[in-house]
Amino acid sequence: MNRIFWAIVGKELLAFIRSWQLVLVVLYSFTVNVYISGSGIEMKPRNVAVGYVDDTGGGLSQKILTRLHAPEFLPPQRFGSQKELSRAIFDKEIIVGIVFDADFEKKWRQGQKTQINILLDATAASQAYTTLGYLQNIIFDITSPDIPVEIASHKLFNQNADNHTFMALTELLSIITMITVILTAVVFVREKEQGTWDIMLLMPVDPKLIILAKSFSQVLIVMVGIVISLGFIVMGIFSVPFNGSFVAFALLSFFYVWASAGIGLFIAAVARDIMQVAQLSIVVMMPLIFLSGAWTPIHAMHPVLQTISLVSPLRYYIEGTESIFYRGSGWIDLFPYFTGVIAVGGLMYWIGFRKIGRLF
Amino acid sequence: MDTLKIDRVSVRYHQHTAIRDASFSARAGEIIGFIGADGAGKSSLMHAIAGVGAFDGSIRFHNTLYRSPAEAEPIKSMTALMPQGIGLVLYDMLTVQEHLNFFADIRNINKDASFIAYQQRLLQMAGLEKFTDRRAGNLSGGMMQKLSLICTLLHRPKLLILDEPTTGVDPLSRIELWDILDQIRTQEGTIILVSTAYMQEAARMDRLLLFDEGEIIALGSTEELIDSVRPMTYVLSQQTDGITTRDATYSIKPLDFAHTEPTLEALFFVNALKKGRSLPPITLSTHHEDYVRDSVIMEARGLTKRFDGFIANDCVDIRLKRGEILGLLGANGAGKTTFIKMLLGLHPIDGGELELLGRLIQNTSDRQTLKASIGYVSQHFALYNDMTVRENLLYFAAMRSIPFEKAVDKTLLYATELGFDIYLDELPLNLPLGINQRFSLAAALLHDPVVLFLDEPTSGVDAIARAQFWQLLIALKEKWGISILITTHYMSEAEFCDRIVLLRDGKKVADDTLEELYALHPNAVNFEDIFLEYYR
Repeated sequence: MNRIFWAIVGKELLAFIRSWQLVLVVLYSFTVNVYISGSGIEMKPRNVAVGYVDDTGGGLSQKILTRLHAPEFLPPQRFGSQKELSRAIFDKEIIVGIVFDADFEKKWRQGQKTQINILLDATAASQAYTTLGYLQNIIFDITSPDIPVEIASHKLFNQNADNHTFMALTELLSIITMITVILTAVVFVREKEQGTWDIMLLMPVDPKLIILAKSFSQVLIVMVGIVISLGFIVMGIFSVPFNGSFVAFALLSFFYVWASAGIGLFIAAVARDIMQVAQLSIVVMMPLIFLSGAWTPIHAMHPVLQTISLVSPLRYYIEGTESIFYRGSGWIDLFPYFTGVIAVGGLMYWIGFRKIGRLF
Repeated sequence: MDTLKIDRVSVRYHQHTAIRDASFSARAGEIIGFIGADGAGKSSLMHAIAGVGAFDGSIRFHNTLYRSPAEAEPIKSMTALMPQGIGLVLYDMLTVQEHLNFFADIRNINKDASFIAYQQRLLQMAGLEKFTDRRAGNLSGGMMQKLSLICTLLHRPKLLILDEPTTGVDPLSRIELWDILDQIRTQEGTIILVSTAYMQEAARMDRLLLFDEGEIIALGSTEELIDSVRPMTYVLSQQTDGITTRDATYSIKPLDFAHTEPTLEALFFVNALKKGRSLPPITLSTHHEDYVRDSVIMEARGLTKRFDGFIANDCVDIRLKRGEILGLLGANGAGKTTFIKMLLGLHPIDGGELELLGRLIQNTSDRQTLKASIGYVSQHFALYNDMTVRENLLYFAAMRSIPFEKAVDKTLLYATELGFDIYLDELPLNLPLGINQRFSLAAALLHDPVVLFLDEPTSGVDAIARAQFWQLLIALKEKWGISILITTHYMSEAEFCDRIVLLRDGKKVADDTLEELYALHPNAVNFEDIFLEYYR
């Protein structure tokens, strides 16, 4: 019994290593892909094109504009009239437009209420609104109102409030889901494509053992991928703080990968060829990742979606992983996440197992 | 003057040369046959001539000389290509009449009275005039091929290129297809290039091109070709130098035996001898096991299989005895593969009883124990392409719980006896088809089964490998006492079987020994004729 199990695992690992395209795709996903999303996705303003119309003749307006500098802003561009500025915003050359009216500085000097008009291209919503926040801060700073309150902020768990580390980690967790689903499905569907499916069925071996061994071989591959990604990218390049227990993370990942393998089994039972595996994987994975809190915090979702997100094992996995990495939570505190991943994941693997088992 | 002239045409795919320096010419109204195994270069040459694939060399048709698909554009209104595969150019959801309209429209044919008359004549030739409003998806394989053919004939091509139009088609439809071709070439003066997997069809062709390993090895009429190998063909003898098949021995060196009448296949054997290229010999040792001859291994009583809407196997009774080769013959879609898959438990049985090795099969656990005594080779010898021959065999041994040391010994023993020991560390994809055939058989034999199920193991394999494969099967039967159930659509292979079951549309139409069948049909020259009797 044991020997058959290891023979299948060995065969699948050999087949994986011999198909270099697949090895390349997996390596790419775990390294370059995680790196790109960690370094590429930007929430803070960066290189924002600013244009302005200044009818005041300099002074205060220039003082404000000099505060807009790299890397957040490109050097502000001057426009002759508000019409030209609007045109430039319409043509997407400028994201933020600032209009200083002729009496702007005069009123301020006289101690009267004055105003700056700001035009925002709200299609780049988050960049535009963060920019607005910047501008408000700058003006707040210059005018220094007479309220004797100072804000002392203490950033917890992620001291630089750096979202690279967060994005890289989240991307890794999504990649784990995707690669496991696809690899597990491919292992079965390739047998269908090569015509070896019948031969596999005719072996005097318990189908359960075949399914378990095949899933296990792919779980192993993904676990190696996780270690590589963690070592070289997440902790190597992005220096994500690791405050918790590595064993806890490895164990949580192991359970989670089995859950994803269950989705893979389900897809393998339905798909006829590799092409269909690719299509089905995307259809199944998108809601799973949406509902997990990888892209939007759970508490910001619609209440209905919040409830549905309870069945996404990725949700527990992401929350658990963040606790381990950033908070360094102990085993007791990780209990709910382990329970979630094992309960929902176990159910998913069981469903996939039953579904593909029917083909045997 | 020759209407079509092919001058040193080669087709390459990356590193691989599909066909090398092919040259021949053809006159109007000639039928030229392309004969050879899969991968011998027939299709590549056809695609080059049709101007649908890049090639080196030059082709002239009438006054157009072309060296590339772009230059071939002007001749495309005069040519037609029917690719390999049944019903590949058809649309399942369109009716016969809609197909004719569609193909006439894309060829921009003026639907005048003469076209209507011509179209009517084609329909009559194909025997489809009563089925004009039937959907293509509901036609039989033979009717589909006839419809494909008349669709490609609508624009009255002067050069017709047909890639294996008859493979897997029932014998009656095959004869009808040939009749259509005969009429077309006499009435329209069309040059017809046609490839085939059946040697018997050579008689209907004016000249033959024999293909082997990307080369044209012979060119001429059937008589000329057979004459050319007569001096190398001898009666059956135990000569080790040449190649010995079931009924003859071939040798380039003169032998002290009488000559015998060669067949077209002899050309392939002689070619292999001339090039010093042949597969390693098979030396099977005898298994000393006691068994009762003639005991029943498998008995199917009224086995039935329904797929939604049609019956794939209708009350089939078959009995397989120990040490017997049973041939399951029939055209594509006759239910051969379905039957084998039912025996193996890959398809659930919808009706009837199945007894395997004296045990009635009732549930899956019966099957599980039986799997240990059955060997199976699937169509196209499906094996794991990412693993070497040795790794494949060791993997199968592990799955069968054969101890590792024993598995290693056995792999080596079978590799030596079946003559593939030098290929043990190669990947299956890099091996000749004949070697893959042997090693997939070895994989099916690792656990010493008493019965082998083989699903079309010889389709697409060259003549030499086929002859040797049959020798191997007969040796397995005689020396190891293994029962073999084999399906094939090559009627000529019936001659190797002890007993033959003929299937037609899922029903058993004949079940007898070869001798009895010949006795029943005294007018039959070969098995093809007998088969035809059952299809009339």
